[in-house]
Amino acid sequence: MSTEKNYARPIPLIAVVLVALAVHGPLLLMQLPSRSFDANFHMFFASHYAHHWFNPWNEKWFAGFSQTTYPPLTHQWIALFSTVIGLKMGYMLVQLIAILLLPVGVFRFARIWVDDRAASYAALGSVFIGALSFLAYQAGQLATIASAALYLNALPYFYEWIAESRKLALLKGVVISLTAAAAHHVTLIFGVVFFAVPVLWTACLDARRRLVAGSLGGVIARTAAFAVAVGVGVGIVLLPYWLALIQHPIQQMPIPHDSRANYLLNSTIAVNYFVIPYGALILALPFILIRGSSSRRLIPLLCGFWLAFIFGLGGTTPLPRWLLGRAYEVLTFERFAFWATLLAMPLVGLLAVQLLDRFQTRAAIGLSLAAVGTIGAALWWLNANPYRPGGSADVEPVIAFLNRDGHDSYRYLTLGFGSELARVSTYTSASTVDGDYNSARLLPEMTHYGSAQLTNAKFYGSAGMASLRAMLEHANRYGLKFIFVHDPYYEPLLTFVGWRKIETFDNGEITAWSKEDVPPAHQISSDAVPPAWQGLMWGILPIGVSFLAIFLELLLLDRRRVPVEVSVPFHEQDPQEHYVA
Amino acid sequence: MKIILPIILVVGTGGLMVLALLSGGNARGTVGVAGGSAVFTPSATNPQLALHNLLIDVQRRHWDHAYDALSKTSKADKEDFIQDCTGSNGSLRSFSSLEGFDPRPLHITDDQADMRVALHWSTPVGPIEDVRDIHLVREGDVWRAVWPEYKVPMVPAEVIPVTYLRWDLVTGTADDQWGSKNVDAPRVRIISMNAVNTAEGTIVMGEVVNEDTIPAFVNVNATLVDGAGSIIDEETSFDKIDHILLPKQVSPYRIDFPNVDLNKVKNVRMDVKAALVPASADPVIGVMDQKIDTDAQGKSVLQGDLLNESGQTVNISHVIASFYDNSGKVVWVSDGYVDRALLPQSSEPFAVEIPKSVSQKVQNFHVVVNQFSLARS
Repeated sequence: MSTEKNYARPIPLIAVVLVALAVHGPLLLMQLPSRSFDANFHMFFASHYAHHWFNPWNEKWFAGFSQTTYPPLTHQWIALFSTVIGLKMGYMLVQLIAILLLPVGVFRFARIWVDDRAASYAALGSVFIGALSFLAYQAGQLATIASAALYLNALPYFYEWIAESRKLALLKGVVISLTAAAAHHVTLIFGVVFFAVPVLWTACLDARRRLVAGSLGGVIARTAAFAVAVGVGVGIVLLPYWLALIQHPIQQMPIPHDSRANYLLNSTIAVNYFVIPYGALILALPFILIRGSSSRRLIPLLCGFWLAFIFGLGGTTPLPRWLLGRAYEVLTFERFAFWATLLAMPLVGLLAVQLLDRFQTRAAIGLSLAAVGTIGAALWWLNANPYRPGGSADVEPVIAFLNRDGHDSYRYLTLGFGSELARVSTYTSASTVDGDYNSARLLPEMTHYGSAQLTNAKFYGSAGMASLRAMLEHANRYGLKFIFVHDPYYEPLLTFVGWRKIETFDNGEITAWSKEDVPPAHQISSDAVPPAWQGLMWGILPIGVSFLAIFLELLLLDRRRVPVEVSVPFHEQDPQEHYVA
Repeated sequence: MKIILPIILVVGTGGLMVLALLSGGNARGTVGVAGGSAVFTPSATNPQLALHNLLIDVQRRHWDHAYDALSKTSKADKEDFIQDCTGSNGSLRSFSSLEGFDPRPLHITDDQADMRVALHWSTPVGPIEDVRDIHLVREGDVWRAVWPEYKVPMVPAEVIPVTYLRWDLVTGTADDQWGSKNVDAPRVRIISMNAVNTAEGTIVMGEVVNEDTIPAFVNVNATLVDGAGSIIDEETSFDKIDHILLPKQVSPYRIDFPNVDLNKVKNVRMDVKAALVPASADPVIGVMDQKIDTDAQGKSVLQGDLLNESGQTVNISHVIASFYDNSGKVVWVSDGYVDRALLPQSSEPFAVEIPKSVSQKVQNFHVVVNQFSLARS
């Protein structure tokens, strides 16, 4: 077989999944994400579900908070796996499943616009996306990745339903969409704009051009039916979440986040939130723009990409602030860059097809180097960036201290622990007034200041230290008796406000501080405690829809859909517009 | 469409970026982490821009860039300039990050300018404002700051005898925590209390004395009660007290109740908690040349010098002052941190603010100094 013929075939999807397994499997086996920003947070939530599946009220953070404030699916799956392989490996396994689902979703999503060959290249490219590695290994945004992967798998069913009126596609599309929402509702909400609208727009174009069975009116009507089904379903599956949000809307002071900065004014932030997530895709941007504009069917995809791209630039343009209003100050924008790269993948698949057709082996080498360079840079950046998650201290002695001699009858605080706070919380029976999830905070000492975790107070400047001071002032009120310090920055404050060092751990890396006259902690009354029926719903419905989605996929197999429009090599379609990307 | 759409998207994206830059985009990185350089920095074509660019570099700790932007007539060398900005000897400034600044012109001509800038520092003990006057000169087309001379004090080695009292706590078991629980608490008494209404809320202040012959860890709590006997709020003296009192020592205290109107308060319950702790009279910090004056901004302040009489460095000093009227009643308690370290046998100036309404009543004052030393923490 000639080299040209080798490159002319699509890569089998199973091969792409195996590549994903080969690339990310070892990294996850090495537990690389365990030091990411959010991994311990996810494991903390999962640990609670493992012990109290039907009781989402968690006393360990914020003197008590409801876990119905965060969609539970990924945490519940970790909790299930943790009974067999432990919490940490449970996390890695769920992360691996999400990563393996992603190229499958990208392949199926890309086939709405391009042929199998370009779609397979798109799927293969998605394994190496810098933004994926950034989210998985640096940010630890498990739920975002899982939800995006599920949503990409749901959208082809959405297209099949609205364009071809296939009832099985409706059923599968709705159930997988609900599963995506149960993993991460924000992805579903924004996914409607960035992903679903381009699919709908494309289906309308196909209907007008009679490329599909349905009429334009039928497409609109079936879209409405799908939207109602998903809307009602998400409303029911995540009902405790919506009720919690209505009862306590997010009204806290905006918390600064670097992804909202103007990247043009700070090169480190630009590298972190633009260069690393996009990697070699930056070189493909001109092609994406030109090729995306070259066909009416690709324009919806290009527009979806462009909007996500602009949002992914954070405060570099004013558009996100204009469009999101108050929500702009609540959201972080690295996930938009991830979505933009996913939306770009079908067009990148087309680019790969063109390059391989034209340059064969040289193109294959170049594309491989670009892909490996992109993921390699993201992995290198884990240790090179100044924002890398801290917390290398051994926290086991802290956990042991809290679990002995009745110390857990008081509350505690960690300072300078970064994401290790969640690890301490997971394994101790004591509770803290701090926590690593901003949206669940209700204590006024935290919500009245533009600062996130108290353990990271110094990174939020005066607002962070004011929040910490407010909490220390009310130490007696909350039974806050022990403070563990992993950053000498906080020692002057503790000294001046009357705390004394009582112990040191890990060769002096961590010091324990205590204050006299603090009474034992008592339960802080809250109107946010979910009633028992919500706990039952929360424990049954989200995990239930995911089981249903698995059964539907495994038991009711699809007939293979023939792509609407098989892409024509660029030089054959538009011979007058040769260029090399 | 093939041509127009890419052009629209590219021009639109560029336009939006320019709009964000013109509307004063947010360049802030995480506080305390050296930020990257700006892709776009406007040229220092006027004194305001020159000072702004310089302070942004200081904020991001880009010392090479910042020092290069200074006038060659500056008297500070690079190391002195950096130490002036970042502090030294474990001082409060060395823990601080420049969070923001508010410059305003004092005097500008074609080639000379004087600017006054309020520097807002984020520190472990709370925000601190430092007002500096900076001279700028025009050199060619650009303006540059003339940084004044700053010399880090060098203390020669000398032997200082340690003759101060020291109390150690000998405990029966290793499980005892730092406050001893198996002996009687030291006798500590509140000797004065005064509650006042201010625009920010109610303030309870006074003095507390350790009447015992052993050192005491002291905390003063206050509870405000309304006419119906319900508790309005409970607060503590927090950092506005010297928590460790040696025998017979007196400390001012102040307890703030933000947003509480004193007129609604029927009763104030005071509660002083004391525990026996180990303590040392060393380091002794003398308060010299105290006087009430007016600062450059027209505020009434108590200012003076702190003299470290010991042989060890005091990294952070905290001054707490009580002010009395002619009847000897405490009418105000004020505090402030000194952002330079007190080296052995050397002095540093301090100033604490007094509200204008109180300053006219003040007849006398008493200053105590609390301290933090890295060597003893």
